[in-house]
Amino acid sequence: MPASAPVLSPVTVLRLVIILTVLAVWEFLSHSGWLYRDVVPSLLAIGRAMFDLLAHGEYYFNLAVTAGEVGAALAIGGGLGLVVGIVLGANRFLSKAFESYLYYLGPTPKIIFFPIMIMWFGVGPGSKIALGTLSCFFPVALSAAAGMRQIDKVLIRVGNSFRASTAQMVFKIYLPAMRHPIINGVRLGLGVALIGTLLAETKLSNKGIGFLIIQAYSIFDMPRMYAMLIVLFVLSIGANSVVGRLGGLDSIKRS
Amino acid sequence: MTAPSPNAANADILVVDDVVVRFETQEGPVTAVDHVSFGVRQGEFLSVIGPSGCGKSTLFNVIGGLIGHTSGVVSVGGETIDSPHKSIGMVFQEESTFPWRSVTDNVAFPLELIGMPKAQRIERARHFIALVGLDGFENRYPNELSGGMRQRVSLARTLASEPKILLMDEPFAALDEQTRLLLGDKVLQIQQQLKQTTLLITHNITEAVQMSDRILVMTYRPGKVKRIVDIDLPRPRTSEIVGSEAFGRYVAQIWADLREEASRGMRDEEEHTLHHTGGAS
Repeated sequence: MPASAPVLSPVTVLRLVIILTVLAVWEFLSHSGWLYRDVVPSLLAIGRAMFDLLAHGEYYFNLAVTAGEVGAALAIGGGLGLVVGIVLGANRFLSKAFESYLYYLGPTPKIIFFPIMIMWFGVGPGSKIALGTLSCFFPVALSAAAGMRQIDKVLIRVGNSFRASTAQMVFKIYLPAMRHPIINGVRLGLGVALIGTLLAETKLSNKGIGFLIIQAYSIFDMPRMYAMLIVLFVLSIGANSVVGRLGGLDSIKRS
Repeated sequence: MTAPSPNAANADILVVDDVVVRFETQEGPVTAVDHVSFGVRQGEFLSVIGPSGCGKSTLFNVIGGLIGHTSGVVSVGGETIDSPHKSIGMVFQEESTFPWRSVTDNVAFPLELIGMPKAQRIERARHFIALVGLDGFENRYPNELSGGMRQRVSLARTLASEPKILLMDEPFAALDEQTRLLLGDKVLQIQQQLKQTTLLITHNITEAVQMSDRILVMTYRPGKVKRIVDIDLPRPRTSEIVGSEAFGRYVAQIWADLREEASRGMRDEEEHTLHHTGGAS
């Protein structure tokens, strides 16, 4: 290794070059007049729209609605998924009987159930939470079931030999031993809960980020729509890295 | 010297009386443990030695209460064992530390289960960590330790539950020879210091002679008691005893017994393999 390492690594430089190129092409396109007005708004217009967006309480209200929906979906779907996954992982008979359904239903696009959810839970947040819950349940359940089967058997024997109760076995051995697959499942679950909720909001809703985006689109306020997309990207990257950090922190302390 | 009285069994803290363990397998019933009887005295170090497949690990699990037996009685301090008993502390052959717990939290685990207050159980855990010579590693995680150190954590964890009987199943099997000898020293030292009644399951003759007051030799399948040998070597012992002449005589004597069983086991396995490849072709 050379004594004086460069300030920026080649990877960082490459990334910066790509980002700057994309921005430059974008700006060029917006001024070229080749595309219909505002389909590619100038960076300045998007920046102004973003400032507008973040300066008004309306955005935060809708953000809170969406975040609440995703949080509720993750709590309900993730919680149910965890319980179902543990039961399936622990019981060979039940797993044989039911687990293949989870594998088949897991990748099905949940949005096709949205009309039913609207009938059951209405146009408001209820139907969004339901769809997010449905999306989130499968990856968490499948990861938990797989995680349960991967637990080192000797750790269970250790627990038994110390006469641990069932609750102690679950909270002091099963769950901590499964933390990697569970965190992974929650991470996948968060992603699909976010997708499910936002998709539902863009279809039919009266509040939430998805609603704002589709509203901006319908009045052709492109700078505002792009501004919201960018903020949304940043937020979901943030949420994902928080969950990832939980897993990463732990892996230092080994599998 | 007093001759063993007919009531000697009453002085035994652990009694294994006419125990039979039979498994149903696809090739029919297999008797793993066949009418085995012996007792372990208070403060004694007893080893059970036998070739692979003699049912000694089955015996370990039966005494630990982790699996049931077909007939006979196992009792500790007069109480019959049919599930894990609080007087028996098990140390397993496999890597069994909890990777998500620090050394202290691993050792405090059994104390946590019985609801001991945190400050008290940490103090107790530290005592046993020091006892196995791991002071300074209290806040490390198992992945930061060597295999021998992890096995010492497991030992400290079991000792922390203060069992009347320490029950170990080849705890050093996965370690290299030098670590094994040094760790054997550690176990001997602790056992002599705590006057810990210990039952060691092993297939290592040196290890058994080095540590035991008595050695129970088992036969190859079905596992029966072939002989019980008194090891009349001075205590306190260390691994240095391995060089002595008396030690060599005991090793030779036990090997003579074991050799027969081990070769029977080997022949049996060869036949089994032959039979099965023959059947398949």
